[in-house]
Amino acid sequence: MGLINQIPTVYKMSIQNLIMNLQKFWADQGCYLAQSYDLEVGAGTMTPDTFFRVLDKRPWKVAYVQPSRRPTDGRYGENPYRVQKHFQYQVIVKPSPSDIQQIYIESLIALGIDLQDHDIRFDEDDWEAPSIGAWGVGWQVLLDGLEITQFTYFQQAGGIDLFPVPVEITYGLERLEMFLEGKDNIFDLDWSDDVSYHDLRFFEEKEFSEYNFNHANVKKLKESFLWNEKEAWQLINNDLLLPAYDMCLKCSHFFNLLDSRGAISVTERVKMIAQIRGLANQIAQKYIARENSA
Amino acid sequence: MVLFLEINTEEMPPAHVKIALEQLGEKFKEELSAQNIYVGQVETYGTCRRLIVAGNFAPRQDDREEEIIGPPKAVAIGKDGSFSPAAKGFAKAQGVRVSELKVIKTERGEYLGLKKIEKGKPTRDILSEILPQIISSLSFPKMMRWGESSFRFSRPIKNILCLFGEKVLSFTIGGIRAGNLTRGHKIYSPKKIRVESFGEYRETLRKMKVVIDQEERRRMILNQMVQKLASLKATLHPDEDLLEHIIYDIEYPHVFLGSFPEEYLNLPLEVLSTAMREGQKLFSIVKEKKQIPFFLGVADAYQDSKSLIQKGNERVLKARLEDAKFFWEQDQKITLKDREKGLKKIVFQEKLGSYEDKAQRLKKIVAYFADKIEAKKEKKQVIQAAELSKVDLLTEMVREFPSLQGKVGGLYAKKEGYPAPVWKAVCEHYQPVSLDDESPSSLTGSILSIADKLDSIVGVVGIGIQVTGSKDPFGLRRNAHGVCKVVLERKLCFSFSRLLDKVLVVYGEKLRKPKDGIKSYCLDFFSNRLRYIFERQGYRYDLINAAVSVGIDNIYHSYLRLKALDSLKESPNFAPLILISKRVNNILRDQPLFRINTGLLAEKEERELHTTFSIIKNNVLPLISRGDFSQAQRIIFRIRSSIDKFFDNVLVMTDEKRLRRNRLALLQAISKLFIQVADYSQIVIEG
Repeated sequence: MGLINQIPTVYKMSIQNLIMNLQKFWADQGCYLAQSYDLEVGAGTMTPDTFFRVLDKRPWKVAYVQPSRRPTDGRYGENPYRVQKHFQYQVIVKPSPSDIQQIYIESLIALGIDLQDHDIRFDEDDWEAPSIGAWGVGWQVLLDGLEITQFTYFQQAGGIDLFPVPVEITYGLERLEMFLEGKDNIFDLDWSDDVSYHDLRFFEEKEFSEYNFNHANVKKLKESFLWNEKEAWQLINNDLLLPAYDMCLKCSHFFNLLDSRGAISVTERVKMIAQIRGLANQIAQKYIARENSA
Repeated sequence: MVLFLEINTEEMPPAHVKIALEQLGEKFKEELSAQNIYVGQVETYGTCRRLIVAGNFAPRQDDREEEIIGPPKAVAIGKDGSFSPAAKGFAKAQGVRVSELKVIKTERGEYLGLKKIEKGKPTRDILSEILPQIISSLSFPKMMRWGESSFRFSRPIKNILCLFGEKVLSFTIGGIRAGNLTRGHKIYSPKKIRVESFGEYRETLRKMKVVIDQEERRRMILNQMVQKLASLKATLHPDEDLLEHIIYDIEYPHVFLGSFPEEYLNLPLEVLSTAMREGQKLFSIVKEKKQIPFFLGVADAYQDSKSLIQKGNERVLKARLEDAKFFWEQDQKITLKDREKGLKKIVFQEKLGSYEDKAQRLKKIVAYFADKIEAKKEKKQVIQAAELSKVDLLTEMVREFPSLQGKVGGLYAKKEGYPAPVWKAVCEHYQPVSLDDESPSSLTGSILSIADKLDSIVGVVGIGIQVTGSKDPFGLRRNAHGVCKVVLERKLCFSFSRLLDKVLVVYGEKLRKPKDGIKSYCLDFFSNRLRYIFERQGYRYDLINAAVSVGIDNIYHSYLRLKALDSLKESPNFAPLILISKRVNNILRDQPLFRINTGLLAEKEERELHTTFSIIKNNVLPLISRGDFSQAQRIIFRIRSSIDKFFDNVLVMTDEKRLRRNRLALLQAISKLFIQVADYSQIVIEG
């Protein structure tokens, strides 16, 4: 037996080790390990490695950590569970393998969880993003009542049936680590042997909550939203879909910031969501058309 | 012979399992009976991971006797008894000798023909054709695809086991080939094992920590719960829906008792039980109707020897309760009144505006409605409640626990010192959420509940969304059921069509569809909902038609009409009255309206009928407006002898135009009175 195969799964509890274990597990399943996307996104599912790659007909296996920003969830670092930025571990496998649920269960075992002593449940929780004509069917996975994963078979995007069907597995890293460490406060988690979640993230939460709720410049954000939208349409017309999608992501983030500033009226909200939807939809449609003609 | 089918899937939603088992049971009986296969007992079992059918079927189709009719006897057989060329030709075409033909008597006379016996096919052959059809015809509220197949089901199918007479019955569906393998509990026994028979399967699976029978799981859960509760001398806060869900959500039940810190007992029971139910699906425990700091949970496990399941759930629950407590305290720092302006930021429906718009509309609707039902005392209070009713959508508590909408607003209003009729109305105005849910206990709550639901129905219909078949995206049926239920239980009398007018006026220019169209759609929609409700209560469909088809302007009166018909349906006068009514209707069909001229009443019998009718009418009209339809009908019955005499002695359709028209006019007046009680012509007379 070669040395490589003897690298043991790391059982010492920390977010860092959790990530390393998941990386190893999914790399062994044939996933390409992507790096986190370098724009603000609300969830791992929004990055190009998922958004575009689930649309075409080619097989695809990817896994990556994605920092995910949800400005309205900020609590100035004072709430033990809610933060305006958290980390997701995102896995996409297309086509969905017939034993994917068992593989997922094995990934938990690989993290050192003895499932014989626990209650693992797959609780109906379908996913829907009507704004981009996308939906999927799946579950939230509960471990002794704690939600640790979203598990979704994508069905449609841009209003089009996806084929083959991709499966998405999104682990909430903080939740999972709280389970592993048996802790009740996110900030008490260990990131590594000697760096805590508090050390790394507390001030970031405090300052960004302050920014998101009180300081973000509403007027400039609205202008930026419009400018990025315009730019996106221009890029779409030039068939530059990846840059166009970046612009679309920016619009989405500006919208979230404006929302946390409480600066969006009913009619504006409807309109802005429609604007983002229009972009995402058009980008998806064009991408599919291009892939199908290639 | 026993057919045993198991479809093994990833976790289906419990509601899907129930639907699928019902469909499977029915389809097996229907499809096989249709194939002339004798169907014995068919049992269905299921968990979220498997659908099971075990049924007894005859090993073969019944033999079928078929009669084939040939040429008429007169043509086929000559006078001398010889067969004609026609007979010979027929025999040849059927592949039999002429001598095998027989004379068959039919309604049209005697024919030459033959009886053929078609041998039944083995059930096994038929099953392998029908099974894939049955499985792929199962329909679920939402279906999905997976992998590289276009096959749709509730959740991915992982394995199919099918035995007939203890031998594999193979077929392929969705790329999966049926065989004789299964697997046990996903954690304890994930490996495939071979199965020989249904009886063996049942026992093997029990060892592999799967109890296939839903009723057995229910008993196990309840027994374990009773044991856990005994030491606490407490009871379960009843939640049938949750129990029903959990029964299908697990394969092997383990009930665990957990506790939480007493500091959270300050939260109201509604909040506590919701925090427990949602997400973790835990049951509240109460003593003398008060929550005690314990809960029961059901794990899909056979033990919790290290208490890790219990402790994990306690930790998650504590976090949820901590959140709830925080929301409860934070929310109350801002009064409902101060929060109100935020309502304009939440969309009720894109085209119908915000919840502020809705609250404003509700104020106007409840004010009108309170006047109409003479709720003078309540009017001010219910307007106040309408104003506050939607404010709790802005609270953290409702954001976290959406199912607590209304309740939370009501509880906060109570804390803020609003009078009981106000806070109760806010609390109860979403009720009843279904026909099985309780209606509001307060009159104010009832008024607000009706106004809120009607506002939603009229608005949604007004922007062009209609309910069709399984499509009811805004729950309009549920809303209409709620309105009817409250009206009927509260015995509210008012003009429904004028209330609809009011709602339409309050909406003003927001609705794009023409107002007349919206109104007639709504009236139609409500008639159908009323029919559904009455049918559910067990009334005869024809009586329902007779009561509802005369119009539902007074919804409660529709019910009284029906009750009157139902109570008098055995009366000896009932059938004759219906016959009279049908006869009158037949004569009047396609006739324009005429006016009675008493001077033209020529015959004795028509004068007598007119007099009787006038007296009856004067007596009946006040009864109708009071809603006393039983008495009204009893009086109407008295027209019988006059009308019988009239029909016996007077020719209505006489050639003399003026007399004819006058007689028709008299019958039209009578028919008009009848129809104010019920449309008797809709009633079916038995026998």
